[in-house]
Amino acid sequence: MIRFLLRRVPSILLVIVATSVIAFLLPRLAPGDAAAAAAGPEATTEQIEAIRVEMGLDRPLVEQYVGWVGGLLTGDLGQSLQFNRPVSELIGDRIGSTLELTIAAMLILTVVGIGVGIFGGSARSRLSRLTSDATNTLLLATPPFLAGLLLIIVLGVAFPVLPISGEVAVLDDPMIGLQYLLLPAVALAVPMSAGVARLVQSSMHNVWQQDFVDLAVAKGVPRRRINIRHVVRNSLGPAVVALGMRFGDMLAGAVVIEMIFARNGIGQLAVTGVQNADYNLVQVIIVGAVLIAVLMQLMTEIALAGLDPRVRLGA
Amino acid sequence: MATNTTTVSGPGNGADTTGPTGTVPGPPARQSGAGAWHRYASALRRPRGAAGAGLLALLILAAVLAPILFPNGYDDQSSGALAGPSAGHWLGTDELGRDILARTVFGLRTDISLLLTAVPLSAAIGTLMGLAGVITRWLGTGMQRLLDIILGFPGLILGMTIVLVVGTGWLALFLSILVVGLPMFGRQARAGLLVEQEREYVLAARVLGVRKRTVMVRHVLPNIVDPIVVNASVFMVVAIFIEAGLSIVGLGIEPPVPSLGAMLNTGARYVEVHPAYIIGPGLVLLLLALGFTLLSDALNKAVLKR
Repeated sequence: MIRFLLRRVPSILLVIVATSVIAFLLPRLAPGDAAAAAAGPEATTEQIEAIRVEMGLDRPLVEQYVGWVGGLLTGDLGQSLQFNRPVSELIGDRIGSTLELTIAAMLILTVVGIGVGIFGGSARSRLSRLTSDATNTLLLATPPFLAGLLLIIVLGVAFPVLPISGEVAVLDDPMIGLQYLLLPAVALAVPMSAGVARLVQSSMHNVWQQDFVDLAVAKGVPRRRINIRHVVRNSLGPAVVALGMRFGDMLAGAVVIEMIFARNGIGQLAVTGVQNADYNLVQVIIVGAVLIAVLMQLMTEIALAGLDPRVRLGA
Repeated sequence: MATNTTTVSGPGNGADTTGPTGTVPGPPARQSGAGAWHRYASALRRPRGAAGAGLLALLILAAVLAPILFPNGYDDQSSGALAGPSAGHWLGTDELGRDILARTVFGLRTDISLLLTAVPLSAAIGTLMGLAGVITRWLGTGMQRLLDIILGFPGLILGMTIVLVVGTGWLALFLSILVVGLPMFGRQARAGLLVEQEREYVLAARVLGVRKRTVMVRHVLPNIVDPIVVNASVFMVVAIFIEAGLSIVGLGIEPPVPSLGAMLNTGARYVEVHPAYIIGPGLVLLLLALGFTLLSDALNKAVLKR
């Protein structure tokens, strides 16, 4: 296992370092002047120059980059250009909201995705198979924000049963907080669950074709027992991969969902950062998002390697 | 090589779905040329493929005919703002008094023009990146590492990075779709290349003295085209989501030009007073994505899983 992990380290480091360079360099190559933007529309040339020096934008790019990465490693994330506050404070204020949303959505995704997949994979009647196929196809074509808007129309406007905008921290007030969390989390998770369900379903079909299942049938093991004890268990590997690989998409989806449900999370922070060319803020969010996505992929691989020795020992 | 190429050389469109050799469903030989058209046509004979292709044909037709269907264009502000559905405006009007149905169809035009330019280009460039290993080995691995880096970015985050560089607008959406697709096509092409390289026909051609690059272009490439076509149809759905996702957070196309995502963005603000506003673009977006989902399912079954 350790050897397996060591083999993965170089490529992961490469991705992270390259991402930090991209996130740092690209915005600075773009037209526009961050110092002028930070100084405001009525600043004089001297004021802009003063801000440029204060922000360190007059120094060579390499020096700026090294300073920035050094700061990241020591916990100094830099200063936001538009809010004039430390980036770490801004992110700290909002990370709770985004974490609540992604954790809730991940739970729903796991339960619904695997549940529906197992239902579809165990279904024998033509009707239930068709139903699960049709639902999956429809959900695959539904982006999370569209699901969100539909939920808002149905459960927020037509039959107002749940709040559709704003939020209350779940830790402060669990009952109210969950009410605010429910619609965005469902909107984010349910469309994505179709992909997971489909994978579970097709891998269950594949496992049913295998010889050891035939053997169990021949021995007279009840179908239900074969399904639960052997087929489902052997089909969960792909599901684990599917869930882990979707974590990055879930973060990206959370950005959109936060906008639609007016939740004050990292997504909204990132969007205002992009709109106002706040490099210092956005580059941290980009690196953070990639870091989390890559680490989730790694954890997925570890989980898979634990489940399947072929992955651990193979190429 | 020359087995069944004589009869169907010209049109190859949907008209000849029965095919000249009606006895065999799908020829076993994986070859380019007429055989490919048979395989793709057989996808359209599946219920899902027919439904998806029909849906897409309708939507594309509407998008193409938009200027004829709505001669007033998408920016005619002569009516009252935020009116409900009526005989004159089937889906009502938006916040500036523009017909929502007209804007939806013109928005569909924007989306389709994006998809049909960015996705094929992404497939072509991605495939070339995947095949770069043919030239030299280190170039191939270098390209794969580059694709790994792109793959590290969740799609929308990559899109936001691109917006940060080129600003909002058509170009940012186009580049986002293009770049997000590269790893998928590049990895697929490389995997195909590694498999095909070991086949006997490659060895045979090399022994006969055919140049390496000629073998790749003339023989290997046609054999890996099928998965790329299937992937492109799958990626269409992702591309639709990217356009809409970036637009809906306000990083999409510049007004007054409509796109489906941009309409959802403004429509979402009026959801409580005018729910019909987002139903039009929302439904069309769903149908467009559904069309490509169904078509990619059918292509996948018809072309790959035989």
